[in-house]
Amino acid sequence: MATMARAATTSDVFNAIAEPQRREILVLLRTGERPVTDLAQELGMTQPGASKHLRVLREVGLVRDRKAGKRRLYGLDARGLRPVHEWTGGFERFWNESFDRLDAYVRGLEQERQEEQR
Amino acid sequence: MSATKPEAPAQSATADREIVISRVIDAPRELVFEAFTEVRHLSRWWGPEGFTTTTRSFEFRVGGEWDFVLHGPDGTDYQEWILWTEIVPPERIALLHGEVRGDPNAFESLLTFATEAGATRIEMRTVFPTKELRDEAVEKFSAIEGGRQTLSHLAAYVTEILGQGAQG
Repeated sequence: MATMARAATTSDVFNAIAEPQRREILVLLRTGERPVTDLAQELGMTQPGASKHLRVLREVGLVRDRKAGKRRLYGLDARGLRPVHEWTGGFERFWNESFDRLDAYVRGLEQERQEEQR
Repeated sequence: MSATKPEAPAQSATADREIVISRVIDAPRELVFEAFTEVRHLSRWWGPEGFTTTTRSFEFRVGGEWDFVLHGPDGTDYQEWILWTEIVPPERIALLHGEVRGDPNAFESLLTFATEAGATRIEMRTVFPTKELRDEAVEKFSAIEGGRQTLSHLAAYVTEILGQGAQG
C-alpha cells in the first residue's frame, strides 16, 4: 500500500530509520553480518519484506552487502549514520559526556568524604 | 548586577533556538552543585573524556568569570569564557557562555539541580540569541567532537539510540 509513498520518502537516512522494522534490522546488524533469511526469521517478516527494507537501508548508505559464496551478507555501514549524529548534535553530546564524567567524579568525591568521616 | 535578569520568555518563543539537556547524577544535590563551584572540581569533569582545561582566571560569584582554554585530545585549543549571572546554591546556576569576554554570540545556560530519589537531576537549558547561532553551536561542537570521533564509536553510539528506539 505504501510502496509509492515509501519510494518518495526514503531517500534520506532519517526517513529510512523512521520505520521501526528497519531500526530493528540495524540493531540486529550491530553484532555482525547476517543473511536476509536470518533477519527475516528473527523479525518475523517475509524474506521479500526484509529484502525491501534492506534495499532502502542500502540506498541511504546504512547497510552494505557482499557475496559470501552462495549467500549475500548484509552489514552495518556506520558512515551512513553521520547525518544522524550531526543532527543529534555535538552540543548535546559534549554535555552528555561531560555529565558522564561529572557523575563519576562526584560519586568518587562522595565516597572520599564518607571515608574521611569514618 | 545582572542577578535579577528577567527569565527567558515562554518556552514556545525560544523553542527553535534552545537546547535542553537533562540528566540524573547519582549523588546528593549539594555535592553535584559543589562540583560547579571550584576549578579543582570543574577541571576534573568539564568536557568529554580526553579533554582538559587550563584556567586563566576563575571567580565563582555573580558577575565573576571563568576564563579558560579547553584542550581537545587531538591538540586543538578552544578559548572559552563564562560569566556567572545567577547563583542559588544548591538549586540553580545561570551563566553566559562565549569564547571571549563580551562575545556578542555568547549564549545563556540555566542549570537547575533537583533532588530525585536520592540522586540529582540536572537540567541544562541553553538559549541561543538566534536559531542561526544555535545551529552554529551545534556545528562547532560537532567539530570539537569530530576531533576524536572514529566511525566505530559513532556506530556504537547511534545504534545504541536506535536500539532504545526499537525497544520503546
